[in-house]
This record gives sequence, structure tokens and C-alpha cells, in this order.
Amino acid sequence: MEYTRFEKARIIGARALQISMGAPSLIKIPKDIVSPIDIAMLEFKENAIPITVKRVEKKAS
Amino acid sequence: MPKKTGSNKKTKNKKETKKDKTVETVEKTSTSKKTVNKTRGKKQKIQVKKEEKKDKKTKKKEKHVKKTETRVVNVPSPVEKKEPEEYKKLREKIKQILHDKFLPLSVIDEIIYKVANDKTLESKLKEIVTRALNEYEKNIIDPSEACGIVSAQSIGEPGTQMTMRTFHYAGVAEINVTLGLPRLIEIVDARSIPSTPMMNIYLRDEYRLNHDLAKEVANQIEITRLNSVADIETDLTNLVIYVKPNLKTLKNKHITIDEIVENIKKIRGIDVKAEKEKIKITLDEPSFKKLLDVNETLKELKVKGIDGIKRVIIRNEPNEGYVIYSEGSNLEKVLETEGVDPYRTTTNDIQAVGRVLGIEAARNMIIQEAYNTLSEQGLNVDLRHIMLVADLMTTDGTIRAIGRHGVSKEKESVLSRAAFEITVSHLLQAARRGETDKLGGVAENIIVGQPVKLGTGAVELVMKTTRKKTKKEK
Repeated sequence: MEYTRFEKARIIGARALQISMGAPSLIKIPKDIVSPIDIAMLEFKENAIPITVKRVEKKAS
Repeated sequence: MPKKTGSNKKTKNKKETKKDKTVETVEKTSTSKKTVNKTRGKKQKIQVKKEEKKDKKTKKKEKHVKKTETRVVNVPSPVEKKEPEEYKKLREKIKQILHDKFLPLSVIDEIIYKVANDKTLESKLKEIVTRALNEYEKNIIDPSEACGIVSAQSIGEPGTQMTMRTFHYAGVAEINVTLGLPRLIEIVDARSIPSTPMMNIYLRDEYRLNHDLAKEVANQIEITRLNSVADIETDLTNLVIYVKPNLKTLKNKHITIDEIVENIKKIRGIDVKAEKEKIKITLDEPSFKKLLDVNETLKELKVKGIDGIKRVIIRNEPNEGYVIYSEGSNLEKVLETEGVDPYRTTTNDIQAVGRVLGIEAARNMIIQEAYNTLSEQGLNVDLRHIMLVADLMTTDGTIRAIGRHGVSKEKESVLSRAAFEITVSHLLQAARRGETDKLGGVAENIIVGQPVKLGTGAVELVMKTTRKKTKKEK
């Protein structure tokens, strides 16, 4: 599934918050990458984040 | 489309293609004219012409025609649409390449048109289609993007530039047209009558090539008042009014004295007698005041023409022939006039377009007028922003203004209406009626203090589960 840019931002954001609070990373991270956001982005690229989105079909009012 | 079933003429018109519309209008004219036979013959000729034109038309239109036709029931189309065999084959091929991916019909039609005209491209068809698809998907807007705000800013920012150099100025052929910001406001406000109504009247076949015929049509359209073709003399001692028509002008304008007499007779309480070259008017009951009244009415009496059309100008346009530009607008009547091409004639009175040609036409007119006003000032606003505005104005089938009296008034949410204007009265009314607010829009959520359901705020995160493949759960 392809994510829109909003979905991507939300997923990375949620994961970065977890990492910043001490969650272990799910993939091997190079030593020079420190920022939780960068780590989350790397994880996203590797497709390792166990988060996805729920898409609801909006009903026209 | 709930309106489809309604079989009144307006709805039909809307659904039908412009082509069909033309025919219908022609039909109308033919019945209303005295010379039915003559016009009937003409009608058929036009139909044939149309068929020829049809083939030349871009594929886009043809496809569109097809689509609408299946929707309209019980309306046998006089123009048979046929697509060349070659085009059909290409369409099939493109369909296969696309699988179940989507490309807009207009894009597909364009590709078909280009490829059919250049045989060398056919071998590269797959490449062309995939590239087009990629480009299309790259440019498509993300769901939950705040496109309304983007539109508002994109139109609003150039709008600020406009205010500084706004004036009415002599536009096309000495006709004064409102331009710039005042005009833009007029469009968006959905005024019932524009401050400077104007029409571009295109002519049909022989009328647009022959100056005399064009002049005749112009005479039919332009309003002629009595005081411009005749002298009115009032004899106060005998309480008699003499109308002395100027024979030269009458001949120029193809008006007979009898016609004038007929028109004068419509005034009540007077007696009309034609005497050689002048018309004698006497009152039924002698009254000095009445005489002056009649005198005033006579001056402004309509002798010929269409109400509302104050002035016409005929111009010879390159590649087109004679075109009539008019000050004042009356779309209904002008379309019925013999020799006018109802297919291309336009007015800047958007409400009239909506009334006569239907809401889709009004939408197109809003887009066109707004776009032209902006580009007149050298401002390039993307068409799609304007389309969004036009769509919003016309979605419910009527033309609504942007703002207090139109769109904002009919918003569903109480809080959003209250946030816009007259807060207290809206809240009071809502409380009285016991309304509920679903908190769907932007303003409501901000008032309540929630993230807005737009962009990232609209995304709902869920845990990915690898164990069960069937369904994601929280």
C-alpha cells in the first residue's frame, strides 16, 4: 500500500515518539544516526514500523 | 443524479450535449416564427452542417457526448455519433495497458488523437501510456489535502494586487465593461444582474458572412425607441400629439409606419390615427396632465428590438465574420432571434446562463468569466482553483454566492456558521431548534480544541499485525 504524505508523517511521528521514550529500534541503526526522528525515518524506509493506517471511506453528507 | 428523472426541458437541456441543445433551440424558433416551412428547411441544413462539424471536433467531445447519451432516456439524438474503427482499436489497447488503473478520459482521448494522426507513435503506445499514467499519478492531489484553503490563498493573493489598479475602462469596441476586482466580486457574489451586462452574439452561416444580413439581425436585437425614429410634437391648445416618423431612419431600420401605430395603440386611453406621414394621437377624455403623461410614454416607447439590449456594435472579426457585441443582455430573447448562433452566443450575466442553459453551463461561465477577469490583469491563477470555487457555488443546482448570503448561510454546522458572522444570533437560533453539531469541519474542531480532520489530522493509526493476514486490528 502506498501512503500519502500525511500518512507517512503520522507514522514516522508516532514511531519517533516511541523511540524518544526509550523503545528499542527494530532494525540495525548506524552509529551516526542519533535523532529519534531520523531513526524512525530509517525504519520507515526499511518497512519495519509495525504501524499502518486505517482508511475509512468518508460518506458524503 | 437525481435530476435525471425529471423530464422538464431545463433538466433535459442540462443533460444533453450542447449539440442537442442547439437543435432544440432551433426547433423553438421555428415554431414561433411565421415562416415555418422556411425555417424547417434551414434546420435540416444546420443539422447536416453539424454532422460535418462533428467529425472535425476533438475526440474529447465525442466521448463526452456518448457518455451523456446513455444517461438520457427517451431523447432520441438527432446526431449519430460514430467513432472511427481505428480509434476504437486504440482505445481497446490503452485499456489493456492500463489494466484497472485510471486515466482521465480527456487524456486518453488526446493520446488516441495524437497516435492516430502519427502512425510512428503506435509502436510506442505502451511507453506513452505508462508515462502519462505516471505523470497523472504524480500530479494527483493527496486525499485529505486542504485544497479549499490552497484555492482561497491562490485566488486571494493575486486579488490584493488587483485592487491597486482597478478602474472601469473602455474595453472591446467602445463598450464599457466592468473589469478587475469589482467584476470578480460580482461573479463570486452571484449577482442577479451584472453592473455592465454584455453579450457576444455570434451569427450563423450566411449571416456572419454577409454584412447586410448581420445588420438586419442587429436591428432585430437592438432596442429602438420612438423618439429616435420620430419627432413628437405636442399641440397643447388642441390637446393633440403628432408623431412624425423620420422616413429615412425607418427605412434604415426596416420599420413600417404601421408597426409604429400598432405599438402606440398599446397605450391605454388614447385614440390613434395614421395620416399620411404622421400619426395623430387624441385623448379619449380631454386632460392636460394625461397629455403630458402620454407624451412621456411615447418618447420611451419601444418600437423594435429586444428589451434590455441598449446598444449593439457589429464587428468583422478575422476567421469568424461578423459578430455582434451588445450592451445590455437578454439571453432568452436573443437566442430565439433568427440568424443567431445559439451554440456560441454568450452573455456575462451568469444568472441568465443558469436560467436558460442550465447549471452546468453556469458553472462553465463562472469559470470562464473569473479566469478571464484574472488573466486580463496579468494574473495567472491555476484553472483548478477557480473550478473549485465554481463547483462549490453550483453544487446544489442553484447559483449560490460565496459568503453570508449563500454558501456560508447554508452550512450544516452551527459552530462554523457562528464563527463566520453574527455569532450570537446563530447560536441562539441553534439552541432554540436544538441543533447538533457533528464537528466535521475546520472551524468547529478548532473551537472545541481538537485536531482538525485534515491532512495529518485525518490519519488514523493502527497496529500492523503479521499473524493474521486477513484483517488489521487495533
